[in-house]
Amino acid sequence: MANTETALKEAVTSIDGALGVALVDYTSGMALGTLGGGKDLDLAVAAAGNTDVVRAKVRTMEMLGLKDEIEDVLITLGSQYHLIRLLKGRGHTGLFLYLALDKGRANLAMARHQLRKIEADLEL
Amino acid sequence: MSTTVSPMLVRLAAQRATGALLRDAGALYLVDGEVVHAESPAAPGIDILLAKGGRLPTERWQEAVDRAGAHHRVGRFLVDSGRLASGELEICHLGALFDAAFFALAPGGGPTRFRRGAAHWLGPVKPVRAEAVERETRRRRELLDNLWPRPEVDSAPVTPRTAAGTADITSRQRAVLDLADGVRTPAGIARLLGRPGFHTLIDIRRLAAAGHIETPRASAPPAPAPVPAWVADVSADPDIALLRRLRDALEASL
Repeated sequence: MANTETALKEAVTSIDGALGVALVDYTSGMALGTLGGGKDLDLAVAAAGNTDVVRAKVRTMEMLGLKDEIEDVLITLGSQYHLIRLLKGRGHTGLFLYLALDKGRANLAMARHQLRKIEADLEL
Repeated sequence: MSTTVSPMLVRLAAQRATGALLRDAGALYLVDGEVVHAESPAAPGIDILLAKGGRLPTERWQEAVDRAGAHHRVGRFLVDSGRLASGELEICHLGALFDAAFFALAPGGGPTRFRRGAAHWLGPVKPVRAEAVERETRRRRELLDNLWPRPEVDSAPVTPRTAAGTADITSRQRAVLDLADGVRTPAGIARLLGRPGFHTLIDIRRLAAAGHIETPRASAPPAPAPVPAWVADVSADPDIALLRRLRDALEASL
């Protein structure tokens, strides 16, 4: 079991093209931890804003009566990927990992795979 | 620039102070100017969050407090004894800390005192910079005001309005509404659900904005200032002759 800082560090160092990562509580919109980012990418603002994305999707699924869970959400920009992965551990409902990737350097399939691994590290 | 949430917190952080900042609405514990813990009656404690979340039975928590509380090492004990993973404790603790700090620093929370040297029995888990607590508390206030700018709903008993349709309610909000009985307050509901107090306020404000629960009337405006006593004295014995002269003068000038 990693602590949050270790898990975020692993995300930024092991995932190619990672620009920044945040662990976010999606009810309050608070980032419990962030790493990377910078002037061009304020992770605290990204964390708060993306809670609305997750909330809207959760609500839509409820309205559709889909009895399923969101595994991840991918947002593709011109130059970046933003990947949101909802944590599902017993004690971690309501959290997601938010990862911003440089589209030119990232391997999306690998990034999703590694994010899943980092989630598992956090859950154990 | 936004106003400071707690000037005293800013000052104590700058002094790298250690101790407890005490207010009627809660307390913040500092070590070297960083916030290490917070508690408030309006925010369910980490023990409740862990127990209701099915992560740690109350007896295990009590055992940790009994064995390590006197040494201010309860958090450490839970991790070292394998009861909780360190990341899990950290995440849960951070959530509880920011939640309690939001209520402890609420405006109108009474006078602020500082007890130098006081330490909390939980012991340090993950210290947070006072500046981050300030910023997050301010952000949370703005968030609530954007949802429904009526802070009265935060502390009043929650009364459901049956007339409103409930198609737009999420399952999270449904759980809150199901416990609304006109007696329980948002803090009471948060405790029963084992959810942070602030998270419950978000649901409460959304439910109030959508008309699913009552928004209490804002407290009545203050009564107008009483008329000065001399007014009554004057009217008791009006100077008829003076009033007649005044009337005549006004008529003459028309």
